[in-house]
Amino acid sequence: MTETIELALKTLESQLNQPLETALEACARCGICAEACHYYRAEPKVEHIPAYRSEQLRSVYRYEHDFLSRIFPTWTHAKKLDETTLAKLSEMAYSQCTLCRRCTVNCPLGVDTPLMMRAIRAMATAAGTAPEILVMLADSAIEKGKDPSFFKDMFLDQIRDMEVQMRDIMGDPNTTIPVEKQGAKILYVPLAGAHTILPPAIVFNAAKEDWTLSIFEAANYGVFLADVNRAKQVAKRIVDEANRLGVKEIVIAECGHAYASYRWDVPNWFAGQFDFKVRSLIEVLAEYIRDGKIKVDPTTISAGVTYHDSCNLARNGGLIEEPRYVLSKITTDFREMTPNKAEALCCGGGGGLVALAEYTDRRLAAGKPKADQIKKTGAKIVVAACENCRLQIGDLNEHYQLGVHISALTDLVVRAMRLPKPLPGHEAEHLFEGEKAPVLGD
Amino acid sequence: MTDTLKLSLDFKGLLCPMPVVKIAQAMKQVQVGESVEAVATDPGVMADIPAWARTSGNEVITLEKREKDIRFVVRRLK
Repeated sequence: MTETIELALKTLESQLNQPLETALEACARCGICAEACHYYRAEPKVEHIPAYRSEQLRSVYRYEHDFLSRIFPTWTHAKKLDETTLAKLSEMAYSQCTLCRRCTVNCPLGVDTPLMMRAIRAMATAAGTAPEILVMLADSAIEKGKDPSFFKDMFLDQIRDMEVQMRDIMGDPNTTIPVEKQGAKILYVPLAGAHTILPPAIVFNAAKEDWTLSIFEAANYGVFLADVNRAKQVAKRIVDEANRLGVKEIVIAECGHAYASYRWDVPNWFAGQFDFKVRSLIEVLAEYIRDGKIKVDPTTISAGVTYHDSCNLARNGGLIEEPRYVLSKITTDFREMTPNKAEALCCGGGGGLVALAEYTDRRLAAGKPKADQIKKTGAKIVVAACENCRLQIGDLNEHYQLGVHISALTDLVVRAMRLPKPLPGHEAEHLFEGEKAPVLGD
Repeated sequence: MTDTLKLSLDFKGLLCPMPVVKIAQAMKQVQVGESVEAVATDPGVMADIPAWARTSGNEVITLEKREKDIRFVVRRLK
Protein backbone atom coordinates (compact mmCIF):
# COMPACT_ATOMS: atom_id res chain seq x y z
CA MET A 1 0.00 0.00 0.00
CA THR A 2 1.45 3.39 -0.95
CA GLU A 3 1.76 6.23 1.53
CA THR A 4 -0.94 8.17 -0.35
CA ILE A 5 -3.45 5.35 -0.02
CA GLU A 6 -2.49 4.78 3.58
CA LEU A 7 -3.13 8.45 4.36
CA ALA A 8 -6.46 8.38 2.53
CA LEU A 9 -7.67 5.28 4.34
CA LYS A 10 -6.45 6.56 7.69
CA THR A 11 -8.46 9.72 7.08
CA LEU A 12 -11.54 7.71 6.14
CA GLU A 13 -11.23 5.80 9.41
CA SER A 14 -10.84 9.03 11.37
CA GLN A 15 -14.01 10.42 9.75
CA LEU A 16 -16.13 7.44 10.67
CA ASN A 17 -18.71 8.41 13.21
CA GLN A 18 -22.32 7.37 13.61
CA PRO A 19 -23.77 9.76 10.99
CA LEU A 20 -21.19 8.75 8.37
CA GLU A 21 -21.46 5.04 9.13
CA THR A 22 -25.25 5.30 8.87
CA ALA A 23 -24.95 7.07 5.52
CA LEU A 24 -22.53 4.38 4.33
CA GLU A 25 -24.86 1.56 5.36
CA ALA A 26 -28.29 2.94 4.49
CA CYS A 27 -29.45 3.35 0.92
CA ALA A 28 -32.56 1.78 -0.60
CA ARG A 29 -31.35 2.47 -4.16
CA CYS A 30 -34.72 4.07 -4.87
CA GLY A 31 -33.19 6.80 -7.00
CA ILE A 32 -35.37 9.61 -5.65
CA CYS A 33 -32.18 11.58 -5.06
CA ALA A 34 -31.55 11.76 -8.81
CA GLU A 35 -34.16 14.42 -9.55
CA ALA A 36 -33.14 16.31 -6.44
CA CYS A 37 -29.63 16.88 -7.81
CA HIS A 38 -28.99 19.84 -10.12
CA TYR A 39 -26.22 17.88 -11.85
CA TYR A 40 -28.68 15.14 -12.77
CA ARG A 41 -31.37 17.62 -13.79
CA ALA A 42 -28.89 19.30 -16.08
CA GLU A 43 -27.42 16.08 -17.48
CA PRO A 44 -29.44 12.95 -16.59
CA LYS A 45 -26.73 10.30 -16.47
CA VAL A 46 -25.93 7.67 -13.89
CA GLU A 47 -22.75 9.42 -12.69
CA HIS A 48 -24.92 12.33 -11.61
CA ILE A 49 -27.17 10.34 -9.32
CA PRO A 50 -26.21 11.06 -5.71
CA ALA A 51 -26.72 7.41 -4.73
CA TYR A 52 -24.25 6.39 -7.45
CA ARG A 53 -21.72 8.86 -6.10
CA SER A 54 -22.20 7.53 -2.58
CA GLU A 55 -21.76 3.97 -3.83
CA GLN A 56 -18.23 4.81 -4.96
CA LEU A 57 -17.18 5.43 -1.37
CA ARG A 58 -19.35 2.62 -0.03
CA SER A 59 -17.50 0.10 -2.18
CA VAL A 60 -14.18 1.19 -0.62
CA TYR A 61 -15.72 1.19 2.85
CA ARG A 62 -17.08 -2.32 2.32
CA TYR A 63 -13.67 -3.63 1.30
CA GLU A 64 -12.15 -2.22 4.48
CA HIS A 65 -14.93 -3.16 6.87
CA ASP A 66 -16.70 -6.25 5.60
CA PHE A 67 -14.96 -9.63 5.87
CA LEU A 68 -16.86 -11.18 2.95
CA SER A 69 -16.14 -8.16 0.75
CA ARG A 70 -12.46 -8.48 1.41
CA ILE A 71 -12.43 -12.16 0.42
CA PHE A 72 -14.88 -11.94 -2.50
CA PRO A 73 -14.98 -8.27 -3.50
CA THR A 74 -16.72 -8.98 -6.80
CA TRP A 75 -19.73 -10.50 -5.02
CA THR A 76 -20.40 -7.36 -2.99
CA HIS A 77 -19.09 -4.77 -5.43
CA ALA A 78 -16.33 -3.91 -3.00
CA LYS A 79 -13.21 -2.16 -4.16
CA LYS A 80 -9.69 -1.94 -2.81
CA LEU A 81 -8.60 1.68 -2.79
CA ASP A 82 -5.74 2.41 -5.17
CA GLU A 83 -4.31 5.56 -6.71
CA THR A 84 -6.62 5.47 -9.73
CA THR A 85 -9.73 5.01 -7.60
CA LEU A 86 -8.66 7.77 -5.23
CA ALA A 87 -8.13 10.15 -8.14
CA LYS A 88 -11.60 9.33 -9.48
CA LEU A 89 -13.20 9.72 -6.06
CA SER A 90 -11.43 13.01 -5.54
CA GLU A 91 -12.51 14.42 -8.90
CA MET A 92 -16.08 13.32 -8.26
CA ALA A 93 -16.27 14.86 -4.79
CA TYR A 94 -14.78 18.16 -5.90
CA SER A 95 -16.43 18.59 -9.28
CA GLN A 96 -19.75 16.72 -9.24
CA CYS A 97 -21.18 17.67 -5.88
CA THR A 98 -21.59 21.14 -4.42
CA LEU A 99 -22.52 19.76 -0.98
CA CYS A 100 -25.91 21.47 -1.30
CA ARG A 101 -27.77 18.68 0.60
CA ARG A 102 -30.86 18.80 -1.58
CA CYS A 103 -30.49 15.04 -2.10
CA THR A 104 -30.39 14.50 1.65
CA VAL A 105 -33.60 16.38 2.43
CA ASN A 106 -35.36 14.58 -0.42
CA CYS A 107 -34.11 11.11 0.54
CA PRO A 108 -36.77 8.97 2.31
CA LEU A 109 -34.00 7.63 4.56
CA GLY A 110 -32.19 10.95 4.93
CA VAL A 111 -28.98 9.53 3.52
CA ASP A 112 -26.39 12.27 3.79
CA THR A 113 -24.54 11.99 0.49
CA PRO A 114 -22.69 15.30 1.01
CA LEU A 115 -21.31 13.91 4.26
CA MET A 116 -19.79 11.10 2.21
CA MET A 117 -18.49 13.59 -0.36
CA ARG A 118 -16.93 15.54 2.50
CA ALA A 119 -15.27 12.34 3.71
CA ILE A 120 -13.79 11.84 0.25
CA ARG A 121 -12.67 15.46 0.15
CA ALA A 122 -10.95 14.98 3.50
CA MET A 123 -9.27 11.80 2.23
CA ALA A 124 -8.08 13.62 -0.89
CA THR A 125 -6.80 16.58 1.10
CA ALA A 126 -4.83 14.33 3.45
CA ALA A 127 -3.45 12.33 0.53
CA GLY A 128 -2.48 15.44 -1.43
CA THR A 129 -4.92 14.97 -4.30
CA ALA A 130 -7.30 17.83 -3.46
CA PRO A 131 -7.45 20.76 -5.91
CA GLU A 132 -4.31 22.80 -5.41
CA ILE A 133 -6.05 26.18 -5.54
CA LEU A 134 -8.33 25.39 -2.59
CA VAL A 135 -5.31 24.35 -0.56
CA MET A 136 -3.51 27.56 -1.54
CA LEU A 137 -6.50 29.75 -0.64
CA ALA A 138 -6.84 28.07 2.76
CA ASP A 139 -3.12 28.33 3.44
CA SER A 140 -3.08 32.01 2.39
CA ALA A 141 -5.76 32.76 4.97
CA ILE A 142 -3.80 30.90 7.64
CA GLU A 143 -0.67 32.85 6.68
CA LYS A 144 -2.55 36.13 7.13
CA GLY A 145 -3.44 35.02 10.64
CA LYS A 146 0.16 34.13 11.51
CA ASP A 147 1.59 37.50 10.58
CA PRO A 148 -0.95 40.27 9.94
CA SER A 149 1.80 42.90 9.90
CA PHE A 150 2.52 42.36 6.20
CA PHE A 151 -0.93 43.57 5.16
CA LYS A 152 -2.44 45.42 8.10
CA ASP A 153 -1.28 48.92 7.12
CA MET A 154 -2.53 48.41 3.56
CA PHE A 155 -5.86 47.18 4.90
CA LEU A 156 -6.21 50.21 7.17
CA ASP A 157 -5.41 52.51 4.23
CA GLN A 158 -8.21 50.88 2.25
CA ILE A 159 -10.61 51.36 5.13
CA ARG A 160 -9.74 55.05 5.37
CA ASP A 161 -10.41 55.40 1.61
CA MET A 162 -13.72 53.61 2.05
CA GLU A 163 -14.59 55.89 4.94
CA VAL A 164 -14.14 58.92 2.69
CA GLN A 165 -16.30 57.25 0.05
CA MET A 166 -18.96 56.37 2.62
CA ARG A 167 -19.14 59.94 3.97
CA ASP A 168 -19.64 61.17 0.43
CA ILE A 169 -22.40 58.62 -0.27
CA MET A 170 -24.19 59.27 3.02
CA GLY A 171 -23.58 63.01 3.05
CA ASP A 172 -22.47 62.68 6.66
CA PRO A 173 -18.89 63.59 7.64
CA ASN A 174 -19.27 61.96 11.05
CA THR A 175 -19.70 58.38 9.90
CA THR A 176 -16.85 55.95 10.60
CA ILE A 177 -15.60 52.44 9.84
CA PRO A 178 -14.13 51.31 13.15
CA VAL A 179 -11.42 48.65 13.08
CA GLU A 180 -10.54 46.56 16.14
CA LYS A 181 -12.72 48.70 18.40
CA GLN A 182 -12.45 47.35 21.92
CA GLY A 183 -15.79 46.56 23.55
CA ALA A 184 -17.93 46.98 20.42
CA LYS A 185 -21.19 45.06 20.48
CA ILE A 186 -20.84 43.56 17.00
CA LEU A 187 -17.83 42.23 15.15
CA TYR A 188 -18.77 42.34 11.48
CA VAL A 189 -16.74 39.85 9.44
CA PRO A 190 -16.66 40.76 5.74
CA LEU A 191 -15.13 39.00 2.77
CA ALA A 192 -12.00 40.34 1.12
CA GLY A 193 -12.72 43.46 -0.90
CA ALA A 194 -14.65 46.69 -0.55
CA HIS A 195 -17.93 45.36 -1.88
CA THR A 196 -18.69 43.49 1.35
CA ILE A 197 -17.44 46.27 3.62
CA LEU A 198 -18.78 49.56 2.25
CA PRO A 199 -22.53 48.72 1.95
CA PRO A 200 -22.76 47.09 5.43
CA ALA A 201 -20.72 49.98 6.89
CA ILE A 202 -23.35 52.37 5.52
CA VAL A 203 -26.13 50.30 7.09
CA PHE A 204 -24.37 50.03 10.48
CA ASN A 205 -23.77 53.78 10.51
CA ALA A 206 -27.35 54.58 9.55
CA ALA A 207 -28.58 52.27 12.33
CA LYS A 208 -26.14 53.91 14.76
CA GLU A 209 -24.85 50.45 15.63
CA ASP A 210 -21.93 49.84 17.98
CA TRP A 211 -19.81 47.76 15.64
CA THR A 212 -16.31 47.07 14.45
CA LEU A 213 -14.35 45.30 11.75
CA SER A 214 -11.32 43.17 12.31
CA ILE A 215 -8.62 42.82 9.70
CA PHE A 216 -9.61 39.24 8.85
CA GLU A 217 -12.17 37.98 6.37
CA ALA A 218 -14.90 35.37 6.75
CA ALA A 219 -14.12 33.05 3.81
CA ASN A 220 -12.82 29.65 4.91
CA TYR A 221 -11.50 27.38 2.17
CA GLY A 222 -10.53 24.80 4.76
CA VAL A 223 -14.25 24.01 4.94
CA PHE A 224 -14.34 23.14 1.24
CA LEU A 225 -11.35 20.88 1.72
CA ALA A 226 -13.19 19.17 4.59
CA ASP A 227 -9.95 19.74 6.45
CA VAL A 228 -10.93 20.50 10.03
CA ASN A 229 -7.37 21.35 10.99
CA ARG A 230 -7.04 24.03 8.30
CA ALA A 231 -10.62 25.24 8.78
CA LYS A 232 -10.04 25.66 12.52
CA GLN A 233 -6.87 27.66 11.93
CA VAL A 234 -8.72 30.02 9.60
CA ALA A 235 -11.67 30.38 11.99
CA LYS A 236 -9.40 30.84 15.00
CA ARG A 237 -8.38 34.25 13.69
CA ILE A 238 -11.94 35.49 14.07
CA VAL A 239 -12.58 33.70 17.37
CA ASP A 240 -9.41 35.21 18.87
CA GLU A 241 -10.35 38.67 17.60
CA ALA A 242 -13.87 38.41 19.01
CA ASN A 243 -12.47 37.35 22.38
CA ARG A 244 -9.79 40.04 22.37
CA LEU A 245 -12.24 42.80 21.47
CA GLY A 246 -14.89 41.55 23.89
CA VAL A 247 -17.75 41.69 21.37
CA LYS A 248 -21.12 40.14 22.10
CA GLU A 249 -21.98 39.06 18.60
CA ILE A 250 -20.34 38.08 15.33
CA VAL A 251 -22.16 39.12 12.17
CA ILE A 252 -21.10 37.32 9.03
CA ALA A 253 -21.13 38.94 5.59
CA GLU A 254 -23.46 37.68 2.87
CA CYS A 255 -21.61 34.41 2.46
CA GLY A 256 -23.13 30.94 2.62
CA HIS A 257 -20.25 28.74 3.66
CA ALA A 258 -18.85 31.27 6.13
CA TYR A 259 -22.23 31.62 7.84
CA ALA A 260 -22.68 27.85 8.00
CA SER A 261 -19.19 27.40 9.35
CA TYR A 262 -19.41 30.05 12.08
CA ARG A 263 -23.00 29.23 12.98
CA TRP A 264 -22.73 25.45 13.15
CA ASP A 265 -19.10 24.25 13.17
CA VAL A 266 -17.02 26.87 14.93
CA PRO A 267 -18.95 26.81 18.24
CA ASN A 268 -18.17 23.09 18.44
CA TRP A 269 -14.56 23.44 17.37
CA PHE A 270 -13.95 26.13 19.99
CA ALA A 271 -16.26 24.98 22.74
CA GLY A 272 -15.47 26.89 25.91
CA GLN A 273 -13.78 29.73 24.02
CA PHE A 274 -16.78 30.73 21.98
CA ASP A 275 -19.50 32.64 23.76
CA PHE A 276 -20.90 34.76 20.96
CA LYS A 277 -24.14 34.95 19.12
CA VAL A 278 -23.60 34.39 15.39
CA ARG A 279 -25.89 36.01 12.88
CA SER A 280 -25.85 36.56 9.17
CA LEU A 281 -25.93 40.12 7.91
CA ILE A 282 -29.32 39.37 6.34
CA GLU A 283 -30.82 38.78 9.80
CA VAL A 284 -29.42 42.11 10.95
CA LEU A 285 -30.87 43.89 7.90
CA ALA A 286 -34.30 42.43 8.65
CA GLU A 287 -34.04 43.52 12.29
CA TYR A 288 -33.01 47.09 11.42
CA ILE A 289 -35.89 47.49 8.97
CA ARG A 290 -38.43 45.86 11.28
CA ASP A 291 -37.37 48.01 14.23
CA GLY A 292 -37.16 51.20 12.17
CA LYS A 293 -33.42 51.56 12.77
CA ILE A 294 -32.94 52.24 9.08
CA LYS A 295 -35.46 53.88 6.79
CA VAL A 296 -36.07 52.39 3.39
CA ASP A 297 -38.30 53.51 0.55
CA PRO A 298 -40.49 50.61 -0.59
CA THR A 299 -40.96 52.14 -4.02
CA THR A 300 -37.27 52.40 -4.84
CA ILE A 301 -36.96 49.27 -6.95
CA SER A 302 -39.79 48.71 -9.37
CA ALA A 303 -38.06 46.27 -11.71
CA GLY A 304 -38.85 42.56 -11.22
CA VAL A 305 -36.70 41.05 -8.48
CA THR A 306 -36.12 37.39 -7.68
CA TYR A 307 -34.17 35.84 -4.82
CA HIS A 308 -31.81 32.90 -5.02
CA ASP A 309 -31.68 30.88 -1.80
CA SER A 310 -28.12 29.95 -1.01
CA CYS A 311 -28.08 26.29 0.10
CA ASN A 312 -25.97 27.09 3.15
CA LEU A 313 -28.21 29.95 4.22
CA ALA A 314 -31.66 28.53 3.44
CA ARG A 315 -31.78 24.72 3.29
CA ASN A 316 -28.93 24.22 5.75
CA GLY A 317 -29.20 27.44 7.75
CA GLY A 318 -32.91 28.17 8.00
CA LEU A 319 -32.54 31.77 6.82
CA ILE A 320 -35.56 31.72 4.55
CA GLU A 321 -38.00 34.42 5.57
CA GLU A 322 -35.49 37.12 6.58
CA PRO A 323 -34.32 37.99 3.06
CA ARG A 324 -37.92 37.86 1.78
CA TYR A 325 -39.02 40.22 4.53
CA VAL A 326 -36.26 42.65 3.56
CA LEU A 327 -37.14 42.43 -0.12
CA SER A 328 -40.83 42.97 0.65
CA LYS A 329 -39.86 46.32 2.15
CA ILE A 330 -37.70 47.57 -0.71
CA THR A 331 -39.22 46.15 -3.90
CA THR A 332 -42.63 46.31 -5.53
CA ASP A 333 -42.36 43.36 -7.92
CA PHE A 334 -40.89 40.33 -6.14
CA ARG A 335 -41.06 37.03 -8.01
CA GLU A 336 -40.28 33.65 -6.49
CA MET A 337 -38.37 30.99 -8.39
CA THR A 338 -39.90 27.51 -8.36
CA PRO A 339 -38.90 25.51 -6.36
CA ASN A 340 -37.60 27.83 -3.67
CA LYS A 341 -36.69 28.20 0.00
CA ALA A 342 -35.55 24.87 1.56
CA GLU A 343 -36.27 23.12 -1.76
CA ALA A 344 -34.34 25.67 -3.84
CA LEU A 345 -32.05 24.34 -6.53
CA CYS A 346 -28.33 24.86 -6.03
CA CYS A 347 -26.85 27.39 -8.46
CA GLY A 348 -23.90 25.04 -9.05
CA GLY A 349 -21.27 27.33 -7.55
CA GLY A 350 -21.12 25.92 -4.03
CA GLY A 351 -18.57 23.65 -2.41
CA GLY A 352 -15.70 25.80 -3.68
CA LEU A 353 -16.55 25.08 -7.32
CA VAL A 354 -16.34 28.71 -8.43
CA ALA A 355 -12.66 28.74 -7.55
CA LEU A 356 -11.87 25.62 -9.57
CA ALA A 357 -11.20 26.83 -13.09
CA GLU A 358 -10.54 23.28 -14.32
CA TYR A 359 -14.22 22.43 -13.76
CA THR A 360 -15.77 25.55 -15.26
CA ASP A 361 -17.59 23.68 -18.04
CA ARG A 362 -19.15 21.23 -15.58
CA ARG A 363 -20.11 24.08 -13.28
CA LEU A 364 -21.82 26.01 -16.04
CA ALA A 365 -23.64 22.90 -17.25
CA ALA A 366 -24.82 22.07 -13.73
CA GLY A 367 -26.10 25.62 -13.36
CA LYS A 368 -28.54 25.33 -16.25
CA PRO A 369 -31.56 24.40 -14.07
CA LYS A 370 -30.91 27.56 -12.03
CA ALA A 371 -30.51 29.62 -15.20
CA ASP A 372 -33.84 28.25 -16.45
CA GLN A 373 -35.50 29.11 -13.14
CA ILE A 374 -34.23 32.67 -13.30
CA LYS A 375 -35.35 33.04 -16.90
CA LYS A 376 -38.85 31.82 -16.05
CA THR A 377 -39.34 34.52 -13.41
CA GLY A 378 -38.73 37.25 -16.00
CA ALA A 379 -37.03 39.20 -13.22
CA LYS A 380 -34.41 41.80 -14.09
CA ILE A 381 -32.60 41.65 -10.77
CA VAL A 382 -31.37 38.47 -9.09
CA VAL A 383 -30.52 38.89 -5.43
CA ALA A 384 -28.23 36.35 -3.79
CA ALA A 385 -26.91 36.63 -0.25
CA CYS A 386 -23.83 34.51 -0.93
CA GLU A 387 -20.66 35.52 -2.74
CA ASN A 388 -20.10 32.15 -4.41
CA CYS A 389 -23.70 32.13 -5.63
CA ARG A 390 -23.31 35.65 -7.02
CA LEU A 391 -20.12 34.67 -8.84
CA GLN A 392 -21.79 31.58 -10.27
CA ILE A 393 -25.00 33.39 -11.27
CA GLY A 394 -22.83 36.08 -12.85
CA ASP A 395 -21.20 33.38 -14.99
CA LEU A 396 -24.60 31.81 -15.75
CA ASN A 397 -25.87 35.24 -16.73
CA GLU A 398 -23.12 35.52 -19.31
CA HIS A 399 -23.18 31.91 -20.48
CA TYR A 400 -26.96 31.58 -20.85
CA GLN A 401 -27.51 35.25 -21.77
CA LEU A 402 -30.02 35.87 -19.01
CA GLY A 403 -29.72 39.65 -19.17
CA VAL A 404 -30.15 40.15 -15.44
CA HIS A 405 -28.41 42.29 -12.85
CA ILE A 406 -26.99 40.35 -9.89
CA SER A 407 -26.94 42.02 -6.52
CA ALA A 408 -26.22 41.41 -2.88
CA LEU A 409 -29.16 42.06 -0.58
CA THR A 410 -27.31 44.77 1.35
CA ASP A 411 -26.60 46.72 -1.84
CA LEU A 412 -30.32 46.90 -2.63
CA VAL A 413 -31.10 47.95 0.94
CA VAL A 414 -28.56 50.77 0.65
CA ARG A 415 -30.14 51.80 -2.61
CA ALA A 416 -33.56 51.86 -0.93
CA MET A 417 -32.15 54.10 1.81
CA ARG A 418 -32.21 56.91 -0.75
CA LEU A 419 -28.84 58.34 0.24
CA PRO A 420 -27.42 61.48 -1.36
CA LYS A 421 -25.15 59.44 -3.66
CA PRO A 422 -25.31 55.84 -4.96
CA LEU A 423 -22.92 52.98 -4.22
CA PRO A 424 -20.16 52.46 -6.77
CA GLY A 425 -21.64 50.39 -9.59
CA HIS A 426 -25.17 51.61 -8.84
CA GLU A 427 -24.81 55.01 -10.48
CA ALA A 428 -26.91 54.22 -13.53
CA GLU A 429 -30.66 53.91 -13.10
CA HIS A 430 -30.80 51.66 -16.16
CA LEU A 431 -29.07 48.85 -14.21
CA PHE A 432 -32.33 48.39 -12.41
CA GLU A 433 -34.43 48.43 -15.53
CA GLY A 434 -32.59 45.50 -17.03
CA GLU A 435 -31.12 47.30 -20.02
CA LYS A 436 -27.62 46.25 -19.09
CA ALA A 437 -26.62 43.59 -16.67
CA PRO A 438 -23.12 43.47 -15.26
CA VAL A 439 -22.26 41.88 -11.91
CA LEU A 440 -21.53 44.55 -9.35
CA GLY A 441 -17.86 45.39 -9.56
CA ASP A 442 -17.59 44.81 -13.30
CA MET B 1 8.79 46.43 -17.27
CA THR B 2 11.45 43.96 -16.29
CA ASP B 3 13.03 41.56 -18.77
CA THR B 4 11.65 38.62 -16.78
CA LEU B 5 8.06 39.77 -17.26
CA LYS B 6 6.28 37.21 -19.39
CA LEU B 7 2.56 37.93 -18.95
CA SER B 8 0.38 40.97 -18.33
CA LEU B 9 -3.13 40.27 -17.08
CA ASP B 10 -6.25 42.31 -16.46
CA PHE B 11 -8.18 41.32 -13.33
CA LYS B 12 -10.27 44.47 -13.22
CA GLY B 13 -13.78 43.75 -11.95
CA LEU B 14 -12.85 40.34 -10.56
CA LEU B 15 -13.81 39.77 -6.95
CA CYS B 16 -12.17 37.57 -4.32
CA PRO B 17 -10.99 34.83 -4.73
CA MET B 18 -10.74 35.15 -8.50
CA PRO B 19 -7.61 37.37 -8.65
CA VAL B 20 -5.72 34.75 -6.59
CA VAL B 21 -7.17 31.90 -8.66
CA LYS B 22 -6.17 33.60 -11.92
CA ILE B 23 -2.66 34.58 -10.83
CA ALA B 24 -2.04 31.06 -9.51
CA GLN B 25 -3.04 29.69 -12.93
CA ALA B 26 -0.86 32.22 -14.72
CA MET B 27 2.22 31.36 -12.66
CA LYS B 28 2.07 27.84 -14.05
CA GLN B 29 2.55 29.22 -17.53
CA VAL B 30 5.91 30.84 -16.75
CA GLN B 31 9.29 29.41 -15.80
CA VAL B 32 11.04 29.77 -12.45
CA GLY B 33 12.53 33.28 -12.28
CA GLU B 34 9.97 34.76 -14.66
CA SER B 35 7.27 37.22 -13.63
CA VAL B 36 3.62 37.99 -14.21
CA GLU B 37 2.06 41.43 -13.97
CA ALA B 38 -1.61 42.04 -13.20
CA VAL B 39 -3.96 44.92 -12.63
CA ALA B 40 -6.95 44.48 -10.31
CA THR B 41 -9.66 46.64 -8.78
CA ASP B 42 -10.61 44.52 -5.77
CA PRO B 43 -8.72 46.02 -2.80
CA GLY B 44 -8.69 42.56 -1.21
CA VAL B 45 -5.69 41.74 -3.41
CA MET B 46 -3.53 44.01 -1.26
CA ALA B 47 -3.63 41.36 1.45
CA ASP B 48 -4.49 38.25 -0.50
CA ILE B 49 -1.72 38.35 -3.11
CA PRO B 50 1.17 38.69 -0.61
CA ALA B 51 -0.39 35.96 1.58
CA TRP B 52 -0.82 33.63 -1.37
CA ALA B 53 2.74 34.35 -2.60
CA ARG B 54 4.19 33.46 0.81
CA THR B 55 2.54 30.06 0.80
CA SER B 56 2.95 29.14 -2.84
CA GLY B 57 6.61 29.67 -3.67
CA ASN B 58 6.22 33.04 -5.37
CA GLU B 59 7.51 36.53 -4.62
CA VAL B 60 5.64 39.81 -4.87
CA ILE B 61 8.04 42.22 -6.54
CA THR B 62 5.65 45.14 -6.82
CA LEU B 63 2.29 45.88 -5.22
CA GLU B 64 1.13 49.40 -5.83
CA LYS B 65 -2.14 51.15 -5.33
CA ARG B 66 -2.87 53.52 -8.17
CA GLU B 67 -5.66 56.05 -8.63
CA LYS B 68 -8.22 53.59 -10.03
CA ASP B 69 -6.63 50.17 -9.65
CA ILE B 70 -3.93 48.09 -8.03
CA ARG B 71 -0.92 46.81 -9.98
CA PHE B 72 1.20 43.91 -8.85
CA VAL B 73 4.07 41.89 -10.23
CA VAL B 74 4.81 38.38 -8.99
CA ARG B 75 7.92 36.30 -9.67
CA ARG B 76 7.91 32.52 -9.67
CA LEU B 77 10.51 31.21 -7.23
CA LYS B 78 10.03 27.45 -7.52
